[in-house]
Amino acid sequence: MAARTLKRLLYGTLGVLGVGLALIALFLLSRTAQNSQEFDRLYVYILLVNVGGVLVLFALMVGNLARLFRDYRTHVPGSRLKARMVGMFVGLAAIPLLVVFYFSMQFINRGIDTWFNVDVEAGLDDALALSRAALETQMRQHLNSTARIAAHLEEVSLPQLIFELNNLRRQTGASEVTLFGRNQRILATSSDLAAGSVPEAPVDEVLLQIQQNRPYVRLYPLEGGSYEIRTAVPIGGGNRPELSGLLQARYPVSERLSRMADSVDSSYSDYKRAEYLREPLKRTFTMTLTVVLMLSLLASIYGAFILSRRLVAPIQDLVAGTRAVAKGDFDTRLPAPSRDEIGFLISSFNDMTQRLSTARRQASLSQAQVEAERANLEVILARLSTGVVSLESDLRIRTANQAAGAILNVDLENRVGEFLPEVSVGEPLLEQFVDVARVHLNAGEREWREQIVLRGEVGRRVLTCACTTLPGDEDHAAGFVIVFDDITALLQAQRDAAWGEVARRLAHEIKNPLTPIQLSAERLRRKYLHTMNPDEAQILDRATHTIVQQVEAMKEMVNAFSDYARAPDMDINRFSIDRLAHEVVDLYRAQESGISIRLHAAADLPLLEADMGRIRQILHNLLRNSIEALENHAKGRIEVSVRSARYLDADVVEIVVEDNGPGFDTASISQVFDPYVTTKPKGTGLGLAIVKKLVEEHAGTIEAENGAEGGAMIRIRLPATETAREAMIARLPGRMEKRRERA
Amino acid sequence: MRHATTTQGTSARLALLLLTLAAAVFAQDRSDRHGYFDVRSANTRLVNGVQVLDARLQLVLSDEALDALNSGVPLTIELNIEVIRVRRFLPDALDAELTLRYELEYRPLSQRYIVRNLNSSDQESFATLYSALNNLGRIQDLPVVDDAILEADSDYRMRLQAVLSTQQYPAPLRILFFWRDQWQLKSEWYEWQLER
Repeated sequence: MAARTLKRLLYGTLGVLGVGLALIALFLLSRTAQNSQEFDRLYVYILLVNVGGVLVLFALMVGNLARLFRDYRTHVPGSRLKARMVGMFVGLAAIPLLVVFYFSMQFINRGIDTWFNVDVEAGLDDALALSRAALETQMRQHLNSTARIAAHLEEVSLPQLIFELNNLRRQTGASEVTLFGRNQRILATSSDLAAGSVPEAPVDEVLLQIQQNRPYVRLYPLEGGSYEIRTAVPIGGGNRPELSGLLQARYPVSERLSRMADSVDSSYSDYKRAEYLREPLKRTFTMTLTVVLMLSLLASIYGAFILSRRLVAPIQDLVAGTRAVAKGDFDTRLPAPSRDEIGFLISSFNDMTQRLSTARRQASLSQAQVEAERANLEVILARLSTGVVSLESDLRIRTANQAAGAILNVDLENRVGEFLPEVSVGEPLLEQFVDVARVHLNAGEREWREQIVLRGEVGRRVLTCACTTLPGDEDHAAGFVIVFDDITALLQAQRDAAWGEVARRLAHEIKNPLTPIQLSAERLRRKYLHTMNPDEAQILDRATHTIVQQVEAMKEMVNAFSDYARAPDMDINRFSIDRLAHEVVDLYRAQESGISIRLHAAADLPLLEADMGRIRQILHNLLRNSIEALENHAKGRIEVSVRSARYLDADVVEIVVEDNGPGFDTASISQVFDPYVTTKPKGTGLGLAIVKKLVEEHAGTIEAENGAEGGAMIRIRLPATETAREAMIARLPGRMEKRRERA
Repeated sequence: MRHATTTQGTSARLALLLLTLAAAVFAQDRSDRHGYFDVRSANTRLVNGVQVLDARLQLVLSDEALDALNSGVPLTIELNIEVIRVRRFLPDALDAELTLRYELEYRPLSQRYIVRNLNSSDQESFATLYSALNNLGRIQDLPVVDDAILEADSDYRMRLQAVLSTQQYPAPLRILFFWRDQWQLKSEWYEWQLER
């Protein structure tokens, strides 16, 4: 960001420097054009400024062009637009500049050329030639005059020389006549010039001419635009050796003729000078114009870059902002550059992103709320003891909670998305459940409620089911949800409570009259037996004996009922189930009933945390139950196995007692744990009911089934520790309540 | 970095191109006579309390200057004379300077070269350029500085330089002449000790 700012600052400074140099150059050019005195002092600076300005602007242009080219190739947003705009601006600036340059050049060249006219030049040449001819006539005349003076002087005596010289000078109109002897010694002179003025000595060219014995005549330009004709002739020679030398005479040119001659001379010189300067002048103007053109062109190109950059920058910002929004960044805000249409566009963009941002925040908030509610619902569903299964209209599982799986004995949670009928294959409970549901659905019932009984290998389960439709949404079509609860335990508890009440009442109502009956019978026997004859005495003895015996039997029965109804406090201790099992099994082995009792205890059995008395009673009841079932069986065999296992993620001790007796009646196998359900002639029907009650008090499970080769099998799973007990209570809802009720 | 190098390279190439163009525009034919100004000798004498200068200069005009002269362009030749006080520890001081400006002009009507002293407006005419330049290069008894204004105890040195001036020409022409060697006629400074 800092590097970009620095770069921009550098470019800006260079740009200002370049344009500034260009302006200074133009200013200096105009200034020196107006004031030539400053030219020499300023020229080097002008040159440096011009070259510097051109170089700076060119460097900037090249830099900008390179950057634009790079951006264009890498498809930087806005580069194409920028290139088009730069091209357009450069075209707009360059074309008029070049047109102006071309016509300026044409104008300058042609304008300068028009200053020089062939006719004028010829006229000037003629005028010069004419002037020369006119003056040459005078020159010849004056030369002749000088020659005549010289000839005359050669015949004059020396004393007369000065006098004659004066006369002759006046006659010929000379301004000065001087006779030079040898070594340029003045022999005589006459002049109309101011007194005291020294005669003009013959210059080298005069002497050279005279030495060659040739006359000399020349037109001399004087100060102030006047002319004079100077002549010189040799004098002396053979006749007058004392006069040997030269005679020099100066003749003024008339003022009028001098003025005209000077005018012609000046005009001719000016014209020739101008003609000479024509090409350099054109070249200089061309160079100046070219420099101005280059400066203007480069400045306009650089200006085009700046202008296009400023115009494109907001659009680039917009593109970047739009991309950011497309990527989901709604917090993008663009700086508003101006109050024009682009500014309005950017402010609209900012407004849009702000609204989008607000909307997304609200949507996120709502989604979070929905997610939270959904999570809560999932937690509630997971913790519910009620099974909840939601299904698509085609019976595909949409959701299922843990309790549903536990009740139907199928892991439905991991079968989401599958068809419920397919899942139910091989699962008897679920199969019956699906059959019931299908009956209703096929009948077009979308909302129904029913209590159904499912029969499994380990007994029956009673469920209360309620079904209702689910409204569809964007992701799902309409479906329905089935809510069901396993009320087997509840019904069992109700039944147990009823039986307990019955037992308590029976014990209370029946036990009370039994003792008076027994006492009365014994009293009858004691009082009347010895008074009766032997026959009657035998009858009375038998009758009272039967009464007492039956009353005893009834007492035992009532005590059994009393035991069933009574629920003493649990006394939980850690003890060895292995040792307890051996004690109990050994007790029954000692009775020598002819039944083979074998105990299989695993080596790694843990100490069991339970009420030892109750566990002992469980083992007693189970063994007694089996022994009673094996009465009249030739090769009775009882297998007791104790081992540790994992059940419902808890450590349990599994006790299995199986025999090779007749087994349970398949029709009533689900009711074997109910009181007064027995297949044995002597059974009270309370043995297994009490066992079940004791097992459930330990939060354990009990199952009754028939073995594959016949015989009955009871499987008990007891939590090994208190922790395992808690876990099983959590896994088997309803048990805790029942246990608490019992406790 | 690569970009910067490219830009610099391009700028250098541009500068070279400009110089080449300038050289092409202002190129001179090598066969042309370039001319030169040279101070052959110079000395001062004390005459009546005034330091007078005698000097001999060789002034040879370049072809371009000659062409301009014959086309009616007057040439201005400047003689720059400086009186410098020699100081031991400090830089020497320029105590007096004198510039004599002469204009050399060709008059087509009289076909004579006029040498005009622009300081005094005196003028002389010559039939040939040689004699005109010869006359210009012969300086005799030119009073330079009154000896009284010079410090008695100081040593002085003088120096003389002849220069073809282009200041009098229009600005566009001077831009052109600035680039042309043939118009850059200037002698080396000729130095001598001032005799007291």
